[in-house]
Amino acid sequence: MYLARRLVLAHFWVAFAAFTVAIVLGEWQMFVRSPLHSWVDNPEHYYRSVTAHGTVMAYVFPTLIAMGFGYAITELALKRPLVGLRWAWIAFWLVMAGTVMASAPVAAGKASVLYTFYPPMIGSAFYYLGIVLVVVGSWIWVALMSINLRVWKKENAGATVPLAMYGNVAGAYLWAWTSIGAAVEILVLILPVALGFKDKIDAGLSRVFFSWTLHAIVYFWLMPSYIAFYTIVPRAIGGRLYSDTMGRVAFALFLVFSMPIGIHHLFADPQVGAGFKFVHAAMTGMVSVPTLLTVFTIVASVEIAARLRGGKGLLGWVKALPWKNPMMLAVTFSFIMLGFGGAGGIINMSYQLNETVHNTQWVTGHFHLIFAGAIVIMYFMVVYELWPQLTRCPPLPERLLRIQLWLWFIGMMVLTMPWHLVGLLGMPRRMAYFDYTHPALQPQAWTVIASTIGGFLLVLSTFLFLFILARAGHSTAVPAPFTFSVAVHPHARTPAALNTFGLWVALMIGLTLINYGFPIAQLALLEGTSVPAIPIGGR
Amino acid sequence: MRVQGLYSWHNPWFRWSVASVGALTVVSILVGFIWLPSVHGDFTAQGIWASICRAAGVPDDWSRADKAAAEPSPSTAVVLERTMARTGSSGAIGRGATLALQCTMCHGAQGMSVSDAPNLAGQYAEVVIKQLHDYRRGNRSSAIMQALSANLTDPDIEDLAAYYAYLPRARTAPASYSNAVPALVRVGDPMRNIAPCISCHGGTDQKFGTPWLEGMPVGYLTAQLKSFASGERRNDSHAQMRNMARAMSAAEIQAVAEFYARQGGAAD
Repeated sequence: MYLARRLVLAHFWVAFAAFTVAIVLGEWQMFVRSPLHSWVDNPEHYYRSVTAHGTVMAYVFPTLIAMGFGYAITELALKRPLVGLRWAWIAFWLVMAGTVMASAPVAAGKASVLYTFYPPMIGSAFYYLGIVLVVVGSWIWVALMSINLRVWKKENAGATVPLAMYGNVAGAYLWAWTSIGAAVEILVLILPVALGFKDKIDAGLSRVFFSWTLHAIVYFWLMPSYIAFYTIVPRAIGGRLYSDTMGRVAFALFLVFSMPIGIHHLFADPQVGAGFKFVHAAMTGMVSVPTLLTVFTIVASVEIAARLRGGKGLLGWVKALPWKNPMMLAVTFSFIMLGFGGAGGIINMSYQLNETVHNTQWVTGHFHLIFAGAIVIMYFMVVYELWPQLTRCPPLPERLLRIQLWLWFIGMMVLTMPWHLVGLLGMPRRMAYFDYTHPALQPQAWTVIASTIGGFLLVLSTFLFLFILARAGHSTAVPAPFTFSVAVHPHARTPAALNTFGLWVALMIGLTLINYGFPIAQLALLEGTSVPAIPIGGR
Repeated sequence: MRVQGLYSWHNPWFRWSVASVGALTVVSILVGFIWLPSVHGDFTAQGIWASICRAAGVPDDWSRADKAAAEPSPSTAVVLERTMARTGSSGAIGRGATLALQCTMCHGAQGMSVSDAPNLAGQYAEVVIKQLHDYRRGNRSSAIMQALSANLTDPDIEDLAAYYAYLPRARTAPASYSNAVPALVRVGDPMRNIAPCISCHGGTDQKFGTPWLEGMPVGYLTAQLKSFASGERRNDSHAQMRNMARAMSAAEIQAVAEFYARQGGAAD
């Protein structure tokens, strides 16, 4: 790396420091609502904790990882120093300032509105302003990624953009457009009320704006992991990437289809018409396509690695895989969790099936399995892969890495599978306590204890992760140059459409306008839809 | 690599991407707005255009039933606005104190009742405003209060509210909500959909428009809970108290009322 070493390191340390606080809060929540603890005396403390956990895990942590990894990719894949280092540091400090600004009112109980805001609940204006700062910081990152690609293209006219950078910039553009929904919600609808200029808020319209962000943000979280699947995994396990083109297609499809689908979060909302709910459900089905393409391509790449190591037979090659390699383990765990989580997601997106699981623990199980499971386990691997580049440390102890990954995988399965089960039985999410003495609930009590144990394993895994990084040590030796995966046919011609973003960004914007334009315009023009705000923690 | 040639119908990537996304959109819209509504009686009753409008979330008429007959009389006409909670000026408090002379017989000289009428000392301004408006409009019934409020103007009501909000309130709740406090007050009963009292009435949170209860006469609290339960009192705008009280037993009503009514120490 050239200039970005300290920058990337700062992003990763802050991301995981926040992550550690949030994961301990998450485990506390599980513990106090389990039969292992008496009912929490003050349920507000529970919601305060949920707000902090969600805000950090949804906004701060993945944003910092995507930004840090993005800067690293820019230097490592483009093989040139980062342009705009000073701006990158400004963006970092904006995110830091925003995090502190948003956390303080949450800690003080002045903004227990959950990270999804839920108007007409209105918390302290500082909470929303803090989140705006985090998002503005990330927008600087988006601009820097775009500028760096442009500078590189000028210097390398006609060359193919490295796949890692293609995915990285796709993620940046995705985020730029995705974050607009929540930004409009906060700036236009929530802040005037939080600052006291208005008493009422259009809760229905706010929710539609938030849904614009709420689903696509998941694909912003997911991008770094998919970049790792395509550009790091095959190399790390000694194979070749089966298809570079497939990676580009997957990233392009995420750009096009991740946005115009958010209304599937509003299936139970009366203010949105049934027709739009169906269209969004159908398009949500489309985002399974890039994921299925990715699973196919990565499994094919893994098979190449196995066959290069002498694996034979229809399935016999599986035995020849480097199972002691932490990356092999991580990608396997990630795909298992992605499989369960993805199957659950297809149930959630279906208009009718959603009725049975809407607002239950099933949903919590689903997104923890996908994000905290399949995605975060790859964040760990990204950090492990980059650590020798960032700190010039000797190779990390593989045995500890494997233990950490096993703990995370087992912990996540033990946490989320019981959630899925009780969700189907109807257990609502976001409850501070359950009456386990009630005969209808008593049989479900064990599941909450199981999830608490799963959560504890995740906390252990987090501390082991920090321990591995902290004792990795330093050396003055310059690390071996970082390499990305090489495709089976490395010099295949890349079509212009997959070397640029214009077509996909145009489709993304066009489709969003078609799918969101009418519901937003109609709700915005409809009169008498505002309701009195409910200030939280005001007295 | 010819980027210039990309945005042209001759480029297969452009052609196939735009055409397939367009086709997907058109088919989804046809299914969502025409085919699916066509199998549902609610949508098809008034023809194809009305059916499309309903699927888009804009029925030409939100309710086909006879409006006059269908619309229940609202339980309250007051919309709670945060401006109602503004601290009154000393002038307003003074005028309120004068007007309050006619209230002292029941509500006590300093707003601390010695009868079964509620305390008003320290009551949140928006609460007093809402209740007086409800009495005046007939949304809350009381032979005495309806008669007394009939002559009050809107500014009178605001002044009265400012005066009572200014007086020190009774404080009887314990410093912490430990297990000694009735469960309904502290944690409610989730399986019966009873929210904890302290999630609105102060303790965990004090929701706007929710009265201060500490130190209220026990007879007043039980009478109100019972009349909420029976539906006789219905000026809670979202039926929040009717729903809570309906699920409570007589013993629970008594226990909760006694908790809030406990004679306590000084005001804050």
